[in-house]
Amino acid sequence: MVHIENLSVSFEDTDAVKNVNLNIAPGEILGVVGESGSGKSVTALTLMGLVSDEAVITSGKVVLDGEVLAEVGKPRDKALYRRYQGSRMSMIFQEPMTSLNPTKTVGAQIEEMLKLHTDLDKEARKNRVIESMESVGLKEAAKLYDCYPHELSGGMRQRVMIAMAVILHPDVIVADEPTTALDVTIQNQIITLLKEINTKEKNAMLFITHDLNLARRICDKIAVMKNGKVVESGKTEEIFEHPKEAYTKKLIEAVPSRMKPRGDGECEAVQGEADKKNAEPVVQVDNLNVYYNEKSGKLFGGNKRRCVVSDANFVINKGEILGLVGESGCGKSSLSKAVLGMNKNIEGSVRHSSVRPQMIFQDPYSSLNPSRTVSWLLQEPLRAAGKLDKSLQMSKEDRRAAAVEMLRMVGLDESYMNRKPSQLSGGQRQRISIGQALITRPGLVIADEPVSALDVTLQAQIMELMRRLQEELGVSYLFISHDINVVYQMCDRIMVMKAGRIVEQGKTEDIFNNPKEAYTELLLRES
Amino acid sequence: MQKKEQQKGKVNSVPHKLVKWLKNGNPYLWIGLFMTGVAVGLAVLGIFWTPYSTTEMSAAERFVGPSLKHLFGTDNFGRDIFSRVMEGAGITILISSLVVLFSGTLGILIGAVTGYMGGVVDELVMRVTDAVNGFPSILLALVMISIMGSGNQNLILSLGIVFTPSFVRIVRSEFIRLRDADYISRARLMGVGRLRILFVHILPNIFSTFWVSVMIGFNNGILAESGMSYLGIGVQPPEASLGKMLSDAQGYLMKAPWYALAPGLTIVWIVLGFSLLSEGIRRKS
Repeated sequence: MVHIENLSVSFEDTDAVKNVNLNIAPGEILGVVGESGSGKSVTALTLMGLVSDEAVITSGKVVLDGEVLAEVGKPRDKALYRRYQGSRMSMIFQEPMTSLNPTKTVGAQIEEMLKLHTDLDKEARKNRVIESMESVGLKEAAKLYDCYPHELSGGMRQRVMIAMAVILHPDVIVADEPTTALDVTIQNQIITLLKEINTKEKNAMLFITHDLNLARRICDKIAVMKNGKVVESGKTEEIFEHPKEAYTKKLIEAVPSRMKPRGDGECEAVQGEADKKNAEPVVQVDNLNVYYNEKSGKLFGGNKRRCVVSDANFVINKGEILGLVGESGCGKSSLSKAVLGMNKNIEGSVRHSSVRPQMIFQDPYSSLNPSRTVSWLLQEPLRAAGKLDKSLQMSKEDRRAAAVEMLRMVGLDESYMNRKPSQLSGGQRQRISIGQALITRPGLVIADEPVSALDVTLQAQIMELMRRLQEELGVSYLFISHDINVVYQMCDRIMVMKAGRIVEQGKTEDIFNNPKEAYTELLLRES
Repeated sequence: MQKKEQQKGKVNSVPHKLVKWLKNGNPYLWIGLFMTGVAVGLAVLGIFWTPYSTTEMSAAERFVGPSLKHLFGTDNFGRDIFSRVMEGAGITILISSLVVLFSGTLGILIGAVTGYMGGVVDELVMRVTDAVNGFPSILLALVMISIMGSGNQNLILSLGIVFTPSFVRIVRSEFIRLRDADYISRARLMGVGRLRILFVHILPNIFSTFWVSVMIGFNNGILAESGMSYLGIGVQPPEASLGKMLSDAQGYLMKAPWYALAPGLTIVWIVLGFSLLSEGIRRKS
């Protein structure tokens, strides 16, 4: 069905895609796996004819069902593509938030496809839209037809996107990270839906993802891309069981998984010691309720106090990593903000034995001040601490030395001192972020999804770094994540949160081996 | 020793950086830089030296058209218009710069505090700025001048006050945008003081936006100063100012069109130059 032959695409001087060969048969799902910048999205966009005008095809061709869509040396035939786009090939994007038009109802947006490509009358169009919405598992489709995107949840929006993509029964569907922005349980539903559609409609699906676990669950074949090249391709089981290339092996190993033993022996020993003198809590949280004030919308209506976390009880001991798992909106971040004292609208008690707990954020691009150098960023916590407590004041030289030392500890060298965040990669930024949080040697660091925005191999490196620093500095982490596999790899104990409540907590092994709550079991099964 | 070397390195790299910066520029930037460069260069030169005296009159040389001797011709008193435009442009640019400096500083101070704190103070200050914005700006400045009396200081003060709200708004909205940024939350967690967060952590990040509004403000300042002087409440004679020259030339529009064209086109030149420059900078960042 889809045949990509020896395709190379370049932007100005850089080659984004080099000599890529891909084939997808009807009823087959091909997974393209790779880290960001590996060329997987450019390949898909070239297939769809959506790649920007600066991109030039330097070799090869794209063939759909015997017809050449794009070829080296030929300018892009926009009219040809327009005939195919939507009706015979369609695309599902990553962000259901931004890929729907917020000013139009979802029904009207799906209907647009029919308006453009069919001659159906108004009544028939509406019926078909509702039918299509029902087929992707949207309940009460007739009611949803008149809803605006912001009235739907992320999962529902992605279903709308899928309804839009499949309504004309296209031969080719390109799904570009369709579940990356969704929670695990919803992720699972969407994957199942895509698989069903593929089996039922016998279309060719190109599934782009950075998540190997996901690719393994849905794809028939997999192509691993690196630096614009396909380094390995083949049947899914073969790739996973007998990876030939070193890079593929590295990728598979980097995936946090419950199949692998946690941490290393050394780590367990330290853990044992920590257990013995575990009477030293860094934070003790008792009967904590966290509230947010909600504007009532009326001018003098006052605020409504909404409870987002209720009755949280837990301790974090010295040198311990406590995991916090739950879906988005369950109150993880609210709880962490309350523990840090950033939200004062609370009831109950939070007792710290450490001064100034620090935080590591998810997005390495927004958590460092873009107008400052690494040197300044690493010294600022020391300056602030010195201002607050005269005994901690340091001379300029000492501060600089401390910053250099921290830089080494996070795996970078002195040459990075004068760089600004814009001159660093995502992984390097996250390293600086960690350094900034740890340079004052706080007793507790709250890490809010610190690896979720990173590629798998980087994820593994950052987790390894965080573990190493935890041992070296004896700091405790509250490690928040939606990815239960990451938590499994990192944490000594785990708390599971649902709808503002901590439903279960205990040692990592216990939680994973004998979950007591149905919800925990669900989380474990779905990921 | 190491420090010295670093400083040296910095000094050496500045011109290099400038060349690189220019090379990566765009036509807006180059043309804008050329136009403002010529205007500001001649204006600064005009403070120390002009081809002819700006006040010396000559009955024999009244209304001489533009020639190589008198580039822009002469006026009704036989004074060299080119020299007077040089001086006038200098005063206009100086006044406009001081107005922007005054209102920009005030705008940063007020905008930073209200944007970051929010709440009642913010609400109050915003309503006051709304009230100031509600008046046509020239009219408001006019009222203030008539209360305080004319003179360059009062002119700068009144235009400064009139221009402040627009800076407050821009600075405030940027501070609102950045006050919840992750890196600011982290600064708070580190225990960084409020003032330091405002002016050391947030302020450098708003400069690219602020710089463009300074450029626009500067242009408006030039136009406002010219307008005020034209109305006779700005710069007072015998000092030259572009607006003042325009109003003087009004009576001789038919007889000596160059008299009005020279200051008029100079205003256009300066304003266009700065507009292009700010657009060039905006496109670059």
